[in-house]
Amino acid sequence: MEDKTLISVRDLTVGFPAGKGDIHTVLDHINFDIGQGEIVGIVGESGSGKSMTALSIMGLLSKDAVIMDGTVELRGTDILNIDHEKRRKIQGDDMTMVFQEPMTSLNPVMRIGDQVGEVLKLHTKLHDDEIERRVAESLLSVGLKNPEELMKSYPHQLSGGMRQRVMIAMAIINQPDLIICDEPTTALDVTVQAQILALLKKIHREKKCSILFISHDLNVIKEICQRVIVMYHGTIVEQGSVDEVMYAPKHDYTRKLIASMPEQLSENISKDPLIHVKDLNIYYRTAGKIFTSKKDRMVYVKDLSFDIYKGEIFGLVGESGCGKTTVAKALTGLNTDIEGTMDLGGTMPQMVFQDPFSSLNPAMKIGKILEEPLKLAGVKNKTERREKVNEVLQEIGLDESFAGRYARELSGGQRQRIAIGLALMRGEKFIIADEPVSALDVTVQSQILKLLIRLHKERGLTILLISHDLNIVRHMCNRVVVMYLGRIVEMADVNELYDNPMHPYTRMLFESILTDKKKTDTDKITVNEVRPLKRDQEMCAFYGRCRYAQDKCQEKALELRNIGTEESPHLLRCCLRIARDE
Amino acid sequence: MKKRNYNLIIGLTITGVLLLFTLIGQFWTPYSITETNVALKNAAPSLEHLMGCDNLGRDILSRVMKGCGTTFFVALLTVAIGSVFGTIIGALTGFYGGWLDRIVMRINDILLSFPSVLLVLIFISVIGKGKYNVILALGILFIPSFVRMVRSEVIRYKEQEFVKSARVLGAGNMRIIFVHILPNISVSMLTTAAIGFNNAVLAEASMSYLGLGVQPPEPSLGRMLSEAQGYVFNAPWYAIWPGIVIVLIILGFSLISEGLRKMTES
Repeated sequence: MEDKTLISVRDLTVGFPAGKGDIHTVLDHINFDIGQGEIVGIVGESGSGKSMTALSIMGLLSKDAVIMDGTVELRGTDILNIDHEKRRKIQGDDMTMVFQEPMTSLNPVMRIGDQVGEVLKLHTKLHDDEIERRVAESLLSVGLKNPEELMKSYPHQLSGGMRQRVMIAMAIINQPDLIICDEPTTALDVTVQAQILALLKKIHREKKCSILFISHDLNVIKEICQRVIVMYHGTIVEQGSVDEVMYAPKHDYTRKLIASMPEQLSENISKDPLIHVKDLNIYYRTAGKIFTSKKDRMVYVKDLSFDIYKGEIFGLVGESGCGKTTVAKALTGLNTDIEGTMDLGGTMPQMVFQDPFSSLNPAMKIGKILEEPLKLAGVKNKTERREKVNEVLQEIGLDESFAGRYARELSGGQRQRIAIGLALMRGEKFIIADEPVSALDVTVQSQILKLLIRLHKERGLTILLISHDLNIVRHMCNRVVVMYLGRIVEMADVNELYDNPMHPYTRMLFESILTDKKKTDTDKITVNEVRPLKRDQEMCAFYGRCRYAQDKCQEKALELRNIGTEESPHLLRCCLRIARDE
Repeated sequence: MKKRNYNLIIGLTITGVLLLFTLIGQFWTPYSITETNVALKNAAPSLEHLMGCDNLGRDILSRVMKGCGTTFFVALLTVAIGSVFGTIIGALTGFYGGWLDRIVMRINDILLSFPSVLLVLIFISVIGKGKYNVILALGILFIPSFVRMVRSEVIRYKEQEFVKSARVLGAGNMRIIFVHILPNISVSMLTTAAIGFNNAVLAEASMSYLGLGVQPPEPSLGRMLSEAQGYVFNAPWYAIWPGIVIVLIILGFSLISEGLRKMTES
């Protein structure tokens, strides 16, 4: 595979002016090759220069960027310093790019057909009919059905996964030699992510093109790439075959990246329920009317029953839209439109939000933000409040000087520490962490998770951890509940659930995680994207997507039943008993 | 590399000098502002009377100094009424939404769709003329622009996670609105207030010009312009000086509001 080099990057150094004639270097003497038909991955945290490398190759660097040194060659010809016209030709014919955000990288006012065909219009002299035929072909090859109909629709009519497929169709239509994918699956659900990766592999096999795959997620890289480049602070710290780098990392940073999964919890927890939820329904008002009545609300989460034991970490997983956050809102009192029993055991649940950039008030200093819960609790003494703030700051691994800063002066990880500190200010015993690390870099993620585990151990903190990252849940939680479309479909101890998933949806979730044990055969996953059924129906909500679906699934309302033992219950909402090895 | 905010610097300088000028005028003026002197009727600017004298022989510099104070006083109170009530109404309607919001916004639209001078005229004809009535009328008419701005900002912030975070901590609605949300929009409020101040200066000038606002012999910049219009040809300085000061006040505050806007954008 190395015999024919497609792209060769030598000593590439790029910087940005930092004022007063200084230049801030973002890429520092980068050297690597991409062979013909090879999939190369670049991994690193944000700010490591991954995207800058891609943009340099594509010639999409912003005008401010200064190329200080080096060359980028395409089949032996320099493409770094060429004029606009030649560059345009290369961009259309030889290489294309798939971006991270399928929501914003498609033009919202252009029909899908026109957008996908745009490249051909610009770079070939093909007739309109021929272009249309090629677009339809391309859409079919990325697994989208009914291309004729799809070509007439607009991006907002498509789901995130479909949009990313359209982006890929757009990228491959003119049969480029190189496709650069910049975090193409980061914005997607795990199940959709696995489908997109499988699709990229299929395209690679069929079209024999090279792919430069950029991701911060090692598991994704491991899944798809042949060779991997590890970047850190604008330099390449290590490169080699996937197996070499993953299983015998030479550089410290690579080891840190690989080791950034948190330690596993293994301790016995009490069976003493702290939180008791029984038959809880949570509603949302449907907006748009002046006078709303009870009829205008829709049930978003139905028949929710669970206990959270004192001192455990309880995991809640499911894809976006399944009602995870809605449950958190009900428990914290942000959504009061509920029916059923909710016993909070005298606690006042505190919440750590997903996005640390919007969960801290930008107009207040950190000290004031942290003092607020004490003020609300009626602590009048100023010095007492200050002391408590300093105490908590130390506990979350920051020092007293942070009290005088504003949130915007802090990094994402530091902000999330503050958000955790805020939840601890009043010494509450129960906190809800709603996707607490999904907005953070991998290495920072593990620090925050370690902080949560430490607090859990030291303070005996009970945590409800909401996450779509099944690896994190496995490492952190004692028990796990899986939700689908507003209902619990399965609940069990973490080991039982991961070893013996019984619900078809849980299995689908697990198949889509990319574990480090084996390379899952992602080609096998062929789940259609079906519009989900209504939430208030009685029959199995997963019916439309279930690969084991039978006629009897439509018949009756389903109860959660215990298929485990009395001692360690394994609750399941499915009318089928699927054999373990099916 | 930080660019200097020249708008703010120049605006603050102009306004600062004017405020000093006005402040001195409240305690000391070169001549009496009411004493007339037939011999000096429409006297041209000279070393004794730097800005000249008016139709009754009064020193224009002294009257401008004093009149500036009246104008500032009226404008400040107007903006105060408008911003305090506007902020409270806007914050509450934006935060709670629902039918209250709809009703208030429709009233707002109606008030905004008439020329404000016309509305003030109607108002004055009902409650009578005079400095304080003009302040009241203008103040009420300035409420809608604050309501609109504060409401839209509150709506923007109320769904942010820090607001939810405060609620989870147990903060009540009033505390969330006034302690957590409003500090975030203080700069927008200052900008709107600066623009409102300009409009108030102009409105006071026009009201006094029409004879409805400040009553003689108390000087105000608008009043002086109104009195000067009969003498534009034989004593142009009578109209020019108050006019220049009005222009400077407006320029100063416009630059300040522009500067504040730039400051928030960077």
